[in-house]
Amino acid sequence: MNSFSKFSEIREGYRSKKFSPVEVTQFYLDQIKKSKHNAYLDICEDRVLDQAKKVEKIIFSDKDAFEKYPLLGMPMGIKDLLNIDGVKTTCASKMLENYVAPYTATCVERLEKAGALSLGKLNLDEFAMGSSNENSAFGPVEHPTHPERVPGGSSGGSATAVGADLCLTSLGTDTGGSIRLPASFCGVVGYKPTYGRVSRFGVVAFASSLDQVGPFAKTVEDAALVAEVMSGKDIYDSTSSSESVGAWSSEISKPMDWKSLKVGVPKEYFVEGVEDSVRKSVEESLRWFESKGATLVDISLPHTEYAVSTYYVVAVSEASSNLARFDGVRFGTRPDGANESATLDEFYEKVRSQFGAEVKRRIILGTYALSSGYYDAYYSKACKVRRLIRNDFDEAFKKVDVIAGPVAPTVAFKRGAMLENPLQMYLMDIFTIPASLSGLPALSVPCGTQEDGLSIGLHLIGSPFADEKVLKVAHHFQKERYHG
Amino acid sequence: MAKVDVQLTEKVASLARLALSKEEKSSFTEQLGQILGYIEKISEVNVDGVEPMINPHDQILSLREDVAAEPFLNEEGNPKILDSAPDQLYDGFKVPQIL
Repeated sequence: MNSFSKFSEIREGYRSKKFSPVEVTQFYLDQIKKSKHNAYLDICEDRVLDQAKKVEKIIFSDKDAFEKYPLLGMPMGIKDLLNIDGVKTTCASKMLENYVAPYTATCVERLEKAGALSLGKLNLDEFAMGSSNENSAFGPVEHPTHPERVPGGSSGGSATAVGADLCLTSLGTDTGGSIRLPASFCGVVGYKPTYGRVSRFGVVAFASSLDQVGPFAKTVEDAALVAEVMSGKDIYDSTSSSESVGAWSSEISKPMDWKSLKVGVPKEYFVEGVEDSVRKSVEESLRWFESKGATLVDISLPHTEYAVSTYYVVAVSEASSNLARFDGVRFGTRPDGANESATLDEFYEKVRSQFGAEVKRRIILGTYALSSGYYDAYYSKACKVRRLIRNDFDEAFKKVDVIAGPVAPTVAFKRGAMLENPLQMYLMDIFTIPASLSGLPALSVPCGTQEDGLSIGLHLIGSPFADEKVLKVAHHFQKERYHG
Repeated sequence: MAKVDVQLTEKVASLARLALSKEEKSSFTEQLGQILGYIEKISEVNVDGVEPMINPHDQILSLREDVAAEPFLNEEGNPKILDSAPDQLYDGFKVPQIL
Protein backbone atom coordinates (compact mmCIF):
# COMPACT_ATOMS: atom_id res chain seq x y z
CA MET A 1 0.00 0.00 0.00
CA ASN A 2 1.29 3.45 -0.88
CA SER A 3 0.68 6.60 1.10
CA PHE A 4 -2.36 8.73 0.39
CA SER A 5 -2.59 12.42 -0.33
CA LYS A 6 -6.29 12.96 0.23
CA PHE A 7 -9.28 11.31 1.83
CA SER A 8 -11.16 10.81 -1.45
CA GLU A 9 -8.45 8.30 -2.50
CA ILE A 10 -9.04 6.27 0.63
CA ARG A 11 -12.82 6.48 0.35
CA GLU A 12 -12.68 5.33 -3.29
CA GLY A 13 -10.51 2.38 -2.24
CA TYR A 14 -13.09 1.39 0.39
CA ARG A 15 -15.96 1.74 -2.07
CA SER A 16 -14.28 -0.34 -4.74
CA LYS A 17 -13.08 -2.91 -2.14
CA LYS A 18 -9.48 -2.30 -3.21
CA PHE A 19 -8.54 -2.26 0.45
CA SER A 20 -10.35 -2.27 3.78
CA PRO A 21 -10.32 0.13 6.76
CA VAL A 22 -8.41 -2.47 8.80
CA GLU A 23 -5.75 -2.70 6.08
CA VAL A 24 -5.43 1.08 5.89
CA THR A 25 -5.20 1.30 9.68
CA GLN A 26 -2.55 -1.43 9.73
CA PHE A 27 -0.63 0.42 7.02
CA TYR A 28 -0.49 3.58 9.14
CA LEU A 29 0.32 1.63 12.32
CA ASP A 30 3.28 0.03 10.50
CA GLN A 31 4.39 3.44 9.24
CA ILE A 32 4.26 4.83 12.79
CA LYS A 33 6.26 1.92 14.20
CA LYS A 34 8.95 2.30 11.51
CA SER A 35 9.18 6.05 11.96
CA LYS A 36 11.95 7.75 13.95
CA HIS A 37 10.25 11.15 14.10
CA ASN A 38 9.00 10.78 17.71
CA ALA A 39 5.69 12.21 16.48
CA TYR A 40 3.50 9.87 18.54
CA LEU A 41 3.51 9.69 22.34
CA ASP A 42 0.97 6.87 22.46
CA ILE A 43 -0.34 4.50 19.79
CA CYS A 44 -3.93 3.39 20.39
CA GLU A 45 -3.43 0.13 18.50
CA ASP A 46 -6.20 -2.07 19.97
CA ARG A 47 -8.68 0.78 20.16
CA VAL A 48 -8.13 1.94 16.57
CA LEU A 49 -8.24 -1.60 15.17
CA ASP A 50 -11.59 -2.05 16.95
CA GLN A 51 -12.79 1.19 15.39
CA ALA A 52 -11.61 0.02 11.95
CA LYS A 53 -13.50 -3.29 12.30
CA LYS A 54 -16.67 -1.39 13.19
CA VAL A 55 -16.18 0.85 10.16
CA GLU A 56 -15.83 -2.27 7.98
CA LYS A 57 -19.12 -3.59 9.28
CA ILE A 58 -20.84 -0.28 8.55
CA ILE A 59 -19.48 -0.21 4.98
CA PHE A 60 -20.56 -3.81 4.47
CA SER A 61 -24.05 -3.44 5.91
CA ASP A 62 -25.16 0.09 4.97
CA LYS A 63 -25.28 1.16 1.35
CA ASP A 64 -25.51 4.81 2.36
CA ALA A 65 -22.60 4.50 4.78
CA PHE A 66 -20.39 7.15 3.14
CA GLU A 67 -23.21 9.68 3.03
CA LYS A 68 -24.13 9.10 6.67
CA TYR A 69 -20.58 9.13 7.99
CA PRO A 70 -18.52 11.85 6.29
CA LEU A 71 -15.21 10.71 7.82
CA LEU A 72 -15.79 6.96 7.53
CA GLY A 73 -12.41 5.29 7.86
CA MET A 74 -10.29 8.46 7.93
CA PRO A 75 -7.01 7.68 9.76
CA MET A 76 -6.23 10.55 12.14
CA GLY A 77 -3.74 11.51 14.83
CA ILE A 78 -4.77 13.58 17.86
CA LYS A 79 -2.58 16.13 19.65
CA ASP A 80 -1.90 14.87 23.16
CA LEU A 81 -3.58 17.91 24.69
CA LEU A 82 -7.03 16.52 23.78
CA ASN A 83 -8.82 13.89 25.84
CA ILE A 84 -9.83 10.46 24.61
CA ASP A 85 -11.71 8.40 27.21
CA GLY A 86 -9.47 5.73 28.69
CA VAL A 87 -6.34 6.97 26.90
CA LYS A 88 -3.50 8.94 28.46
CA THR A 89 -3.42 12.73 27.99
CA THR A 90 0.11 13.74 28.96
CA CYS A 91 0.35 17.24 27.43
CA ALA A 92 3.99 16.17 26.90
CA SER A 93 4.55 16.90 30.59
CA LYS A 94 6.01 14.84 33.43
CA MET A 95 3.17 16.32 35.49
CA LEU A 96 0.59 14.26 33.56
CA GLU A 97 2.77 11.32 32.57
CA ASN A 98 0.22 8.81 33.91
CA TYR A 99 -2.98 10.81 33.55
CA VAL A 100 -5.79 8.81 31.90
CA ALA A 101 -8.65 10.94 30.57
CA PRO A 102 -12.08 10.15 32.05
CA TYR A 103 -14.00 11.41 28.99
CA THR A 104 -13.50 12.30 25.32
CA ALA A 105 -13.14 15.88 24.05
CA THR A 106 -16.25 17.04 22.17
CA CYS A 107 -14.28 17.66 18.95
CA VAL A 108 -12.75 14.16 18.97
CA GLU A 109 -16.11 12.62 19.85
CA ARG A 110 -17.74 14.32 16.85
CA LEU A 111 -14.99 13.12 14.51
CA GLU A 112 -15.23 9.55 15.78
CA LYS A 113 -19.02 9.58 15.47
CA ALA A 114 -18.53 10.59 11.84
CA GLY A 115 -16.32 7.52 11.34
CA ALA A 116 -12.79 8.84 11.99
CA LEU A 117 -10.14 6.42 13.25
CA SER A 118 -7.88 7.74 16.03
CA LEU A 119 -4.44 6.16 15.56
CA GLY A 120 -2.87 7.72 18.63
CA LYS A 121 -1.75 10.77 20.54
CA LEU A 122 0.73 13.21 19.02
CA ASN A 123 3.75 14.87 20.60
CA LEU A 124 3.78 18.62 21.31
CA ASP A 125 5.58 21.30 23.27
CA GLU A 126 4.74 20.82 26.96
CA PHE A 127 1.23 22.22 27.57
CA ALA A 128 1.40 23.66 24.00
CA MET A 129 4.04 26.19 25.03
CA GLY A 130 6.67 26.55 22.34
CA SER A 131 7.35 27.11 18.66
CA SER A 132 9.79 24.28 17.91
CA ASN A 133 8.50 21.16 19.68
CA GLU A 134 11.76 21.01 21.62
CA ASN A 135 9.91 21.58 24.92
CA SER A 136 8.35 18.10 25.12
CA ALA A 137 9.24 16.16 28.27
CA PHE A 138 9.35 13.09 26.02
CA GLY A 139 11.87 14.35 23.48
CA PRO A 140 11.71 16.63 20.45
CA VAL A 141 9.81 15.82 17.25
CA GLU A 142 11.76 15.60 14.00
CA HIS A 143 10.86 17.58 10.92
CA PRO A 144 9.30 15.16 8.38
CA THR A 145 12.05 15.51 5.77
CA HIS A 146 14.97 17.35 7.44
CA PRO A 147 15.91 15.54 10.66
CA GLU A 148 18.25 18.30 11.87
CA ARG A 149 15.42 20.84 11.68
CA VAL A 150 12.49 21.50 14.00
CA PRO A 151 8.92 20.85 12.79
CA GLY A 152 7.67 24.03 14.46
CA GLY A 153 5.40 24.06 17.48
CA SER A 154 3.53 23.62 19.50
CA SER A 155 1.61 21.10 17.35
CA GLY A 156 4.87 19.71 15.91
CA GLY A 157 3.80 16.08 16.20
CA SER A 158 0.53 16.84 14.37
CA ALA A 159 2.36 18.53 11.47
CA THR A 160 5.13 15.93 11.17
CA ALA A 161 2.62 13.06 11.34
CA VAL A 162 0.76 14.40 8.28
CA GLY A 163 3.97 15.36 6.46
CA ALA A 164 5.62 11.97 7.07
CA ASP A 165 2.51 9.85 6.30
CA LEU A 166 1.96 8.71 9.89
CA CYS A 167 -1.75 9.60 9.53
CA LEU A 168 -3.81 11.26 6.83
CA THR A 169 -5.09 14.18 8.89
CA SER A 170 -4.53 15.29 12.47
CA LEU A 171 -5.78 17.66 15.13
CA GLY A 172 -3.69 20.39 16.69
CA THR A 173 -4.39 23.48 18.75
CA ASP A 174 -3.45 27.06 17.98
CA THR A 175 -3.04 29.68 20.71
CA GLY A 176 -0.59 32.06 19.03
CA GLY A 177 0.30 30.14 15.86
CA SER A 178 0.72 26.56 17.06
CA ILE A 179 -1.09 25.11 14.03
CA ARG A 180 -0.01 27.52 11.31
CA LEU A 181 3.70 27.70 12.13
CA PRO A 182 4.31 23.93 12.10
CA ALA A 183 2.13 23.59 8.99
CA SER A 184 4.30 26.17 7.24
CA PHE A 185 7.54 24.48 8.37
CA CYS A 186 6.38 20.97 7.42
CA GLY A 187 4.75 21.77 4.07
CA VAL A 188 1.20 20.77 5.01
CA VAL A 189 -2.10 22.61 5.40
CA GLY A 190 -2.89 23.85 8.92
CA TYR A 191 -6.10 25.68 9.71
CA LYS A 192 -7.13 27.58 12.84
CA PRO A 193 -10.89 28.19 12.79
CA THR A 194 -12.51 31.35 14.18
CA TYR A 195 -12.27 31.38 17.99
CA GLY A 196 -15.39 29.65 19.33
CA ARG A 197 -16.03 27.48 16.25
CA VAL A 198 -14.69 24.34 17.92
CA SER A 199 -15.55 23.35 21.48
CA ARG A 200 -12.66 23.39 23.94
CA PHE A 201 -14.36 20.83 26.20
CA GLY A 202 -11.78 18.11 26.84
CA VAL A 203 -8.90 20.25 25.59
CA VAL A 204 -6.36 21.00 28.32
CA ALA A 205 -6.31 24.78 28.72
CA PHE A 206 -3.28 26.95 28.00
CA ALA A 207 -4.79 30.42 27.37
CA SER A 208 -8.55 30.10 27.27
CA SER A 209 -9.37 33.29 25.34
CA LEU A 210 -6.99 32.21 22.56
CA ASP A 211 -6.95 28.39 22.38
CA GLN A 212 -8.63 26.90 19.33
CA VAL A 213 -8.58 23.35 17.91
CA GLY A 214 -7.96 22.89 14.19
CA PRO A 215 -6.94 20.32 11.58
CA PHE A 216 -3.77 19.48 9.66
CA ALA A 217 -4.08 17.82 6.24
CA LYS A 218 -2.34 17.62 2.90
CA THR A 219 -5.26 19.28 1.16
CA VAL A 220 -7.43 22.24 2.13
CA GLU A 221 -10.44 20.13 1.18
CA ASP A 222 -9.66 17.51 3.85
CA ALA A 223 -8.95 20.23 6.43
CA ALA A 224 -12.34 21.79 5.62
CA LEU A 225 -14.07 18.42 5.98
CA VAL A 226 -12.58 17.72 9.40
CA ALA A 227 -13.31 21.27 10.60
CA GLU A 228 -16.89 21.15 9.36
CA VAL A 229 -17.61 17.94 11.27
CA MET A 230 -16.20 19.11 14.60
CA SER A 231 -17.41 22.74 14.59
CA GLY A 232 -20.58 24.04 16.22
CA LYS A 233 -22.13 24.82 19.57
CA ASP A 234 -21.37 22.55 22.50
CA ILE A 235 -23.26 23.01 25.75
CA TYR A 236 -20.13 22.02 27.67
CA ASP A 237 -18.13 25.03 26.41
CA SER A 238 -19.84 28.33 27.10
CA THR A 239 -17.46 30.12 24.69
CA SER A 240 -18.37 27.84 21.77
CA SER A 241 -20.30 29.70 19.13
CA SER A 242 -23.81 28.96 17.91
CA GLU A 243 -22.99 30.55 14.54
CA SER A 244 -24.17 28.10 11.86
CA VAL A 245 -21.59 25.83 10.24
CA GLY A 246 -21.86 25.41 6.47
CA ALA A 247 -21.10 22.44 4.22
CA TRP A 248 -17.59 23.87 3.87
CA SER A 249 -15.94 20.91 2.17
CA SER A 250 -18.42 20.92 -0.72
CA GLU A 251 -19.06 24.68 -0.85
CA ILE A 252 -15.37 25.50 -1.35
CA SER A 253 -15.23 23.35 -4.52
CA LYS A 254 -17.67 25.65 -6.29
CA PRO A 255 -16.05 27.90 -8.91
CA MET A 256 -14.08 30.85 -7.58
CA ASP A 257 -15.05 34.32 -8.72
CA TRP A 258 -11.49 35.65 -8.77
CA LYS A 259 -12.46 39.00 -10.28
CA SER A 260 -14.48 40.01 -7.24
CA LEU A 261 -11.82 38.88 -4.74
CA LYS A 262 -9.89 41.56 -2.89
CA VAL A 263 -6.71 40.35 -1.20
CA GLY A 264 -5.26 42.62 1.48
CA VAL A 265 -1.47 42.88 1.68
CA PRO A 266 -0.40 44.36 5.04
CA LYS A 267 2.82 46.34 4.77
CA GLU A 268 3.68 45.33 8.36
CA TYR A 269 4.00 41.68 7.23
CA PHE A 270 6.72 42.41 4.67
CA VAL A 271 9.39 43.91 6.88
CA GLU A 272 13.06 43.44 7.60
CA GLY A 273 13.71 40.07 9.19
CA VAL A 274 11.61 38.13 6.71
CA GLU A 275 13.95 35.75 4.87
CA ASP A 276 14.38 36.45 1.16
CA SER A 277 13.15 33.00 0.13
CA VAL A 278 9.97 33.45 2.19
CA ARG A 279 9.30 36.91 0.85
CA LYS A 280 9.88 35.76 -2.74
CA SER A 281 7.56 32.79 -2.44
CA VAL A 282 4.77 34.80 -0.83
CA GLU A 283 5.10 37.62 -3.36
CA GLU A 284 4.92 35.13 -6.22
CA SER A 285 1.73 33.76 -4.68
CA LEU A 286 0.27 37.26 -4.51
CA ARG A 287 1.12 37.79 -8.18
CA TRP A 288 -0.56 34.49 -8.96
CA PHE A 289 -3.77 35.78 -7.32
CA GLU A 290 -3.44 38.88 -9.46
CA SER A 291 -2.96 36.81 -12.60
CA LYS A 292 -6.26 35.06 -11.85
CA GLY A 293 -8.04 38.41 -11.77
CA ALA A 294 -8.05 39.15 -8.02
CA THR A 295 -7.25 42.67 -6.82
CA LEU A 296 -4.35 43.20 -4.43
CA VAL A 297 -5.03 45.98 -1.94
CA ASP A 298 -2.27 47.57 0.16
CA ILE A 299 -3.45 47.75 3.74
CA SER A 300 -1.97 48.65 7.10
CA LEU A 301 -2.32 46.88 10.44
CA PRO A 302 -0.51 49.55 12.46
CA HIS A 303 -0.55 47.81 15.84
CA THR A 304 1.21 44.67 14.54
CA GLU A 305 4.44 45.72 16.25
CA TYR A 306 2.74 45.44 19.65
CA ALA A 307 1.18 42.04 19.03
CA VAL A 308 3.95 39.83 20.45
CA SER A 309 4.19 41.96 23.61
CA THR A 310 0.43 41.93 24.03
CA TYR A 311 0.26 38.19 23.46
CA TYR A 312 3.01 37.42 25.95
CA VAL A 313 1.10 39.29 28.65
CA VAL A 314 -2.36 37.88 27.87
CA ALA A 315 -1.28 34.30 27.16
CA VAL A 316 1.05 33.90 30.13
CA SER A 317 -1.44 35.53 32.51
CA GLU A 318 -4.14 33.09 31.47
CA ALA A 319 -1.62 30.23 31.57
CA SER A 320 -0.43 31.00 35.10
CA SER A 321 -4.04 30.96 36.22
CA ASN A 322 -4.99 27.80 34.26
CA LEU A 323 -1.93 25.87 35.43
CA ALA A 324 -2.59 26.66 39.10
CA ARG A 325 -4.82 23.56 39.05
CA PHE A 326 -1.74 21.32 38.97
CA ASP A 327 -1.41 21.08 42.73
CA GLY A 328 -0.83 17.35 43.11
CA VAL A 329 -4.31 16.62 44.49
CA ARG A 330 -6.58 15.89 41.54
CA PHE A 331 -4.38 15.19 38.54
CA GLY A 332 -1.15 13.57 37.58
CA THR A 333 1.70 12.39 39.69
CA ARG A 334 3.35 13.32 42.96
CA PRO A 335 7.11 13.01 42.86
CA ASP A 336 8.99 10.96 45.46
CA GLY A 337 9.11 12.71 48.80
CA ALA A 338 6.12 15.00 48.17
CA ASN A 339 3.95 13.11 50.66
CA GLU A 340 6.61 13.64 53.34
CA SER A 341 6.58 17.44 52.96
CA ALA A 342 6.66 19.41 56.20
CA THR A 343 4.51 22.27 54.90
CA LEU A 344 1.83 22.81 52.30
CA ASP A 345 4.07 25.15 50.30
CA GLU A 346 6.81 22.55 50.23
CA PHE A 347 4.31 19.98 48.93
CA TYR A 348 3.17 22.28 46.11
CA GLU A 349 6.74 23.16 45.20
CA LYS A 350 7.76 19.50 44.99
CA VAL A 351 4.76 18.66 42.82
CA ARG A 352 5.24 21.66 40.55
CA SER A 353 8.95 20.94 40.09
CA GLN A 354 7.72 18.49 37.43
CA PHE A 355 7.02 21.37 35.02
CA GLY A 356 9.65 21.94 32.32
CA ALA A 357 11.66 25.18 31.97
CA GLU A 358 9.43 26.92 29.41
CA VAL A 359 6.28 26.23 31.41
CA LYS A 360 7.91 27.55 34.59
CA ARG A 361 9.13 30.62 32.71
CA ARG A 362 5.63 31.41 31.47
CA ILE A 363 3.99 30.79 34.85
CA ILE A 364 6.47 33.19 36.46
CA LEU A 365 5.92 35.79 33.75
CA GLY A 366 2.14 35.48 34.09
CA THR A 367 2.24 35.59 37.87
CA TYR A 368 4.31 38.76 37.63
CA ALA A 369 1.93 40.38 35.13
CA LEU A 370 -1.06 39.64 37.37
CA SER A 371 0.60 40.49 40.67
CA SER A 372 -0.44 43.38 42.84
CA GLY A 373 0.94 46.68 41.57
CA TYR A 374 1.62 45.43 38.02
CA TYR A 375 -1.87 44.35 36.89
CA ASP A 376 -2.75 47.73 35.35
CA ALA A 377 0.58 48.17 33.60
CA TYR A 378 0.53 44.70 32.08
CA TYR A 379 -2.67 42.66 31.92
CA SER A 380 -5.14 45.52 31.84
CA LYS A 381 -3.05 47.49 29.36
CA ALA A 382 -2.51 44.44 27.13
CA CYS A 383 -6.27 43.80 26.96
CA LYS A 384 -6.74 47.33 25.64
CA VAL A 385 -3.95 47.03 23.08
CA ARG A 386 -5.56 43.73 22.06
CA ARG A 387 -8.71 45.69 21.20
CA LEU A 388 -6.66 48.06 19.01
CA ILE A 389 -5.10 45.10 17.18
CA ARG A 390 -8.58 43.74 16.48
CA ASN A 391 -9.78 47.20 15.38
CA ASP A 392 -6.99 47.23 12.77
CA PHE A 393 -8.43 44.04 11.28
CA ASP A 394 -12.01 45.31 11.42
CA GLU A 395 -10.93 48.39 9.45
CA ALA A 396 -9.03 46.28 6.91
CA PHE A 397 -11.95 43.91 6.33
CA LYS A 398 -14.09 46.85 5.27
CA LYS A 399 -11.86 46.96 2.18
CA VAL A 400 -10.74 43.37 1.58
CA ASP A 401 -12.07 39.79 1.68
CA VAL A 402 -8.94 38.05 2.93
CA ILE A 403 -5.51 39.12 4.12
CA ALA A 404 -2.40 37.35 2.78
CA GLY A 405 1.21 37.28 3.92
CA PRO A 406 3.92 35.02 5.30
CA VAL A 407 3.16 32.62 8.18
CA ALA A 408 6.62 32.96 9.71
CA PRO A 409 9.69 35.07 8.97
CA THR A 410 11.80 31.97 8.22
CA VAL A 411 11.67 28.36 7.12
CA ALA A 412 12.14 25.55 9.68
CA PHE A 413 15.22 26.39 11.74
CA LYS A 414 17.87 24.04 13.12
CA ARG A 415 17.25 22.21 16.33
CA GLY A 416 18.79 23.97 19.33
CA ALA A 417 19.20 27.25 17.46
CA MET A 418 16.96 29.27 19.79
CA LEU A 419 16.84 27.25 23.01
CA GLU A 420 18.88 29.74 25.00
CA ASN A 421 16.96 32.73 23.69
CA PRO A 422 13.23 32.43 24.39
CA LEU A 423 12.50 35.96 23.15
CA GLN A 424 13.92 35.15 19.71
CA MET A 425 11.71 32.05 19.63
CA TYR A 426 8.64 34.12 20.64
CA LEU A 427 9.25 36.42 17.67
CA MET A 428 8.74 33.49 15.26
CA ASP A 429 5.02 33.99 15.94
CA ILE A 430 4.98 37.67 14.98
CA PHE A 431 2.64 37.15 11.99
CA THR A 432 0.41 34.47 13.51
CA ILE A 433 -0.26 36.15 16.85
CA PRO A 434 -2.39 39.11 15.62
CA ALA A 435 -5.08 36.79 14.17
CA SER A 436 -5.02 34.74 17.40
CA LEU A 437 -5.50 37.80 19.61
CA SER A 438 -8.36 38.86 17.34
CA GLY A 439 -10.00 35.41 17.21
CA LEU A 440 -9.91 35.27 13.39
CA PRO A 441 -9.93 32.24 11.07
CA ALA A 442 -6.49 31.77 9.52
CA LEU A 443 -4.54 29.06 7.76
CA SER A 444 -1.22 28.09 6.27
CA VAL A 445 -1.17 26.55 2.80
CA PRO A 446 2.11 25.48 1.14
CA CYS A 447 3.27 28.03 -1.45
CA GLY A 448 6.80 26.98 -2.31
CA THR A 449 10.08 25.46 -1.22
CA GLN A 450 13.63 26.68 -0.92
CA GLU A 451 16.38 25.03 -2.98
CA ASP A 452 17.14 22.74 -0.03
CA GLY A 453 13.55 21.50 -0.05
CA LEU A 454 12.35 23.36 3.05
CA SER A 455 8.73 24.47 2.82
CA ILE A 456 7.19 27.91 2.90
CA GLY A 457 3.57 28.59 3.85
CA LEU A 458 1.18 31.26 2.65
CA HIS A 459 -0.87 32.80 5.44
CA LEU A 460 -4.51 33.63 4.72
CA ILE A 461 -6.61 35.41 7.35
CA GLY A 462 -10.36 36.08 7.26
CA SER A 463 -12.86 38.17 9.18
CA PRO A 464 -14.68 36.56 12.17
CA PHE A 465 -16.66 33.48 11.08
CA ALA A 466 -15.60 33.87 7.42
CA ASP A 467 -14.06 30.41 7.70
CA GLU A 468 -15.62 29.24 4.45
CA LYS A 469 -14.19 32.16 2.49
CA VAL A 470 -10.65 31.58 3.77
CA LEU A 471 -10.91 27.86 3.05
CA LYS A 472 -12.32 28.50 -0.43
CA VAL A 473 -9.53 30.88 -1.45
CA ALA A 474 -6.91 28.47 -0.07
CA HIS A 475 -8.54 25.46 -1.77
CA HIS A 476 -8.55 27.13 -5.20
CA PHE A 477 -5.02 28.41 -4.67
CA GLN A 478 -3.81 24.88 -3.91
CA LYS A 479 -5.85 23.16 -6.59
CA GLU A 480 -5.47 25.56 -9.51
CA ARG A 481 -1.87 26.54 -8.88
CA TYR A 482 -0.46 23.09 -8.14
CA HIS A 483 -2.88 20.58 -9.55
CA GLY A 484 -4.06 22.41 -12.67
CA MET B 1 8.82 47.98 35.07
CA ALA B 2 10.46 46.81 38.27
CA LYS B 3 14.17 46.05 38.28
CA VAL B 4 14.53 42.41 37.30
CA ASP B 5 16.99 40.78 39.67
CA VAL B 6 17.26 37.43 41.39
CA GLN B 7 15.16 38.68 44.33
CA LEU B 8 12.26 39.53 42.01
CA THR B 9 12.49 36.14 40.29
CA GLU B 10 12.49 34.43 43.70
CA LYS B 11 9.53 36.46 44.90
CA VAL B 12 7.38 35.78 41.85
CA ALA B 13 8.38 32.10 41.76
CA SER B 14 7.31 31.74 45.38
CA LEU B 15 3.94 33.36 44.60
CA ALA B 16 3.49 30.67 41.91
CA ARG B 17 4.73 27.94 44.31
CA LEU B 18 7.67 27.12 42.04
CA ALA B 19 10.98 26.15 43.61
CA LEU B 20 13.84 27.10 41.31
CA SER B 21 17.38 25.76 41.27
CA LYS B 22 20.31 28.18 41.48
CA GLU B 23 20.91 27.82 37.73
CA GLU B 24 17.23 28.41 36.94
CA LYS B 25 17.18 31.53 39.12
CA SER B 26 20.10 32.96 37.25
CA SER B 27 19.00 32.04 33.69
CA PHE B 28 15.34 32.97 34.32
CA THR B 29 16.35 36.36 35.75
CA GLU B 30 18.33 37.15 32.60
CA GLN B 31 15.59 35.88 30.28
CA LEU B 32 12.78 37.59 32.19
CA GLY B 33 14.71 40.85 31.98
CA GLN B 34 14.93 40.47 28.19
CA ILE B 35 11.29 39.46 27.79
CA LEU B 36 9.91 42.16 30.10
CA GLY B 37 12.13 44.70 28.39
CA TYR B 38 10.52 43.73 25.09
CA ILE B 39 6.99 43.65 26.52
CA GLU B 40 7.56 47.18 27.85
CA LYS B 41 6.78 48.30 24.27
CA ILE B 42 3.07 48.26 25.05
CA SER B 43 3.52 51.12 27.51
CA GLU B 44 3.99 53.52 24.58
CA VAL B 45 0.52 52.81 23.14
CA ASN B 46 -2.16 55.38 23.90
CA VAL B 47 -5.19 53.43 25.13
CA ASP B 48 -7.26 56.32 26.45
CA GLY B 49 -10.93 55.44 26.15
CA VAL B 50 -10.23 51.95 24.76
CA GLU B 51 -12.39 49.14 26.11
CA PRO B 52 -10.34 46.13 27.18
CA MET B 53 -10.86 43.01 25.04
CA ILE B 54 -11.09 39.91 27.18
CA ASN B 55 -12.81 37.55 24.76
CA PRO B 56 -12.44 37.77 20.96
CA HIS B 57 -16.14 38.04 20.24
CA ASP B 58 -17.52 39.92 23.22
CA GLN B 59 -20.36 37.45 23.16
CA ILE B 60 -22.57 36.98 26.16
CA LEU B 61 -21.56 33.60 27.45
CA SER B 62 -24.40 31.15 27.29
CA LEU B 63 -25.13 29.25 30.44
CA ARG B 64 -26.79 25.88 30.41
CA GLU B 65 -29.53 24.89 32.81
CA ASP B 66 -28.21 24.26 36.30
CA VAL B 67 -29.09 20.58 36.21
CA ALA B 68 -26.76 17.82 37.32
CA ALA B 69 -25.58 15.66 34.42
CA GLU B 70 -24.67 11.99 34.58
CA PRO B 71 -21.26 11.58 36.22
CA PHE B 72 -18.49 9.67 34.41
CA LEU B 73 -18.36 6.35 36.25
CA ASN B 74 -15.90 3.49 35.90
CA GLU B 75 -16.79 -0.22 35.71
CA GLU B 76 -17.07 -0.43 39.50
CA GLY B 77 -19.51 2.46 39.52
CA ASN B 78 -17.03 4.91 41.08
CA PRO B 79 -16.30 8.37 39.68
CA LYS B 80 -13.73 7.98 36.89
CA ILE B 81 -12.23 11.31 37.76
CA LEU B 82 -10.68 9.69 40.84
CA ASP B 83 -8.88 7.01 38.83
CA SER B 84 -6.20 9.39 37.63
CA ALA B 85 -5.72 11.22 40.92
CA PRO B 86 -2.32 10.75 42.55
CA ASP B 87 -4.03 9.09 45.50
CA GLN B 88 -7.62 8.22 46.41
CA LEU B 89 -9.56 6.77 49.30
CA TYR B 90 -13.21 5.61 49.14
CA ASP B 91 -14.84 8.27 46.93
CA GLY B 92 -12.46 11.15 47.57
CA PHE B 93 -9.02 12.50 46.75
CA LYS B 94 -6.50 11.40 49.36
CA VAL B 95 -3.93 13.94 50.47
CA PRO B 96 -1.05 13.74 52.93
CA GLN B 97 -1.65 14.90 56.47
CA ILE B 98 -0.02 18.32 56.05
CA LEU B 99 -2.84 19.40 53.76
